[in-house]
Amino acid sequence: MKKAVAARNIRVLIAKVGLDGHDTGIKVLATALRQAGMEVIYLGLYQTPEGVIKSAVEEDVDVLGLSFLSGGQLTYTPKIVEMMRQSRLDNVLLLVGGVFPREQIPALRQMGVDQVFVGSPLEEIVSYIHANVGRKQPAG
Amino acid sequence: MSDRVADAAKLDLTEAYFEKPKRLQTASGFPVKELYTPEDLQASDYPRNVGDAGSYPFTRGVHHNMYRGRFWTRREVCGYDTPSSTNERLRFLAETGVSGLGFHIDLTTQFQMDADHPRAEGEIGVVGVPLYSIEDMEDLVQGIAQDKVSMIIIECSCIASAVLLAQYIAVAEKRGLDPSKLRGTSMNDPLHGRISCNFIPQNPIGLALKMATDITEYCTKYMPFWNPTNVNMYDLRETRINAAQEIAFAFSIATTYIDAAIQRGLDIDDFAPRRAFYVSANIDFFEEIAKMRAARRMWARIMKEKYKAKSPDSWRFRFGVHTAGHSLTPQQPLNNIVRVAYEALAAVLGGAQSISPTGYDEPVAIPTEQAHAIAVRTQQILAYETGVTNVADPLGGSYYIESLTDRVEEEAGKILAEIDEMGGAVGALESGWFIRQEEKALQEWQEEIDARKRIVVGLNSFVVPEDKTPGGYHAVDPRAQRLMIDKVRRLKDTRDNQRVRQAIDNLRREADKGEKHNLMPVILDAVKASATLSEIAGTIREAYGYSYDVLDVMKSPF
Repeated sequence: MKKAVAARNIRVLIAKVGLDGHDTGIKVLATALRQAGMEVIYLGLYQTPEGVIKSAVEEDVDVLGLSFLSGGQLTYTPKIVEMMRQSRLDNVLLLVGGVFPREQIPALRQMGVDQVFVGSPLEEIVSYIHANVGRKQPAG
Repeated sequence: MSDRVADAAKLDLTEAYFEKPKRLQTASGFPVKELYTPEDLQASDYPRNVGDAGSYPFTRGVHHNMYRGRFWTRREVCGYDTPSSTNERLRFLAETGVSGLGFHIDLTTQFQMDADHPRAEGEIGVVGVPLYSIEDMEDLVQGIAQDKVSMIIIECSCIASAVLLAQYIAVAEKRGLDPSKLRGTSMNDPLHGRISCNFIPQNPIGLALKMATDITEYCTKYMPFWNPTNVNMYDLRETRINAAQEIAFAFSIATTYIDAAIQRGLDIDDFAPRRAFYVSANIDFFEEIAKMRAARRMWARIMKEKYKAKSPDSWRFRFGVHTAGHSLTPQQPLNNIVRVAYEALAAVLGGAQSISPTGYDEPVAIPTEQAHAIAVRTQQILAYETGVTNVADPLGGSYYIESLTDRVEEEAGKILAEIDEMGGAVGALESGWFIRQEEKALQEWQEEIDARKRIVVGLNSFVVPEDKTPGGYHAVDPRAQRLMIDKVRRLKDTRDNQRVRQAIDNLRREADKGEKHNLMPVILDAVKASATLSEIAGTIREAYGYSYDVLDVMKSPF
């Protein structure tokens, strides 16, 4: 079922999974999303995939955003995608961003990430969310 | 008109031709005039405020002849996958022509985990080298004459700092080398780790100061050529604070370590000569040079006037430089070679003792061999071709540079005084003041980028579509995870576990003897008994009332 996202503020959960403590990027993103009128739940550092999914369900979010700098994107993303499927978070947008080679973007999209942002201007992320939130159709 | 003539008439560069700079201030926001003259130096007092290179207050350099006496150390740091892989890169760097080596540890080691920790898999060897035990350190320095190289150990975790040094010493002793001949540096700056990389759970303030002092005390007694600390201004600057804040935040942290050492009973002139710093070289060229000169002068005064240090060696602000990672862009990464070159030049003109230029691929991944090689060549071109090495402080006396040096010092002094008022670095840490300043700086920096008040080529101007990293990028070896997990399991199975238990019991007993009791000797024993970094760190943590495991996911096996 498509969510009536227009009727309320877009809810975005952002988190850092794994041991990576670089939060500069995620902090500026949180500010930009809030300035764009979205509700941002910043889960913080050292999260596990399980913890992130649990919060995503509890908080009934529209978007899940993960930030990686220290190489965790290929390790943790498949787990997140699988858990989203298991938890029926099929119409939640999954976005990944941070510092890693662009060459990995196709692989991340293949895994099930909706969009990847590497070195992207913040407005691009905000626009993408506005344009795509609530659009995903649940599987089967 | 023919089509070709018509087309030529369209190309118009008038606007570009007459363009002028819009940003008329330094990166820190100091407005700058279009011209500086002798009037700007009227108040300057050369003997008192500037001095020759090698003379108090060392504004012009810590040695009278600077690079004529010795080039700066050409250093690159590395660390990835396994100790053996990192060893290969260390040798490659040596072959390429560095004059000093260094390594940085991975996140599992930063978190004091063994490879078989439930949260370790996927993080082993990804951003640095995992070093769980003496055998890992042995593999790391295979074929490297420890008594004939300068080695920097880069870490951000107070107990890991001590254990890694102990591992390095233990391997040297095993090889029949005299540890008092070892030359190098331990980063040993746990306080900065709390506010620049969020290494908080592994660095509780009291324990961090105790371990930092243990390392200082131990090295002061037994390792005269080892810098027991490298106060890391570089990481602080990466949070987007400015040049004056970089000095002030770092000096408040550095003086906290000095106070702790003095409280321990050390004499200032015994340990101060081996204080060292790790400084950023950012992209605002002249401001960075001014910052380094200001730092030297400020530090000299603090050491002489505040701490009453008597030896000139105690007054010297010695530093290594790392070019600023956050000034580089993932867009059009080859441009970073140019940025790094300018920043390395600033470091030379600023009088650094050691320089580690980053790879051009720093905003993408850890450096490839090629990126590392170019960084080394950057230094070699500086050293051998440009001639800038032949004169100490060649920009000294410049009306602009001396004014800017004064300006940076003035601002840094104000901020340092502000931090002093709130109880020094510990007060600023506990109240969250540092973090709030950093967040403010980050927000301002981002706003300037978004509004194009700060132009970054390729990022917010001259943008082109791209999808590949030129020269490729470093790929993590997927086998490294399994290899290190199996290796540490094998170690735990085959070592003399009786001996380990005894060493751990001993460690616990010694750790219970109070904050002033130096744990380095007993850590060294435990390392030699093949106790892992995690086991040693966890035991000390428990003795101090913390969870064995930094993430409190597993309990002590003892």
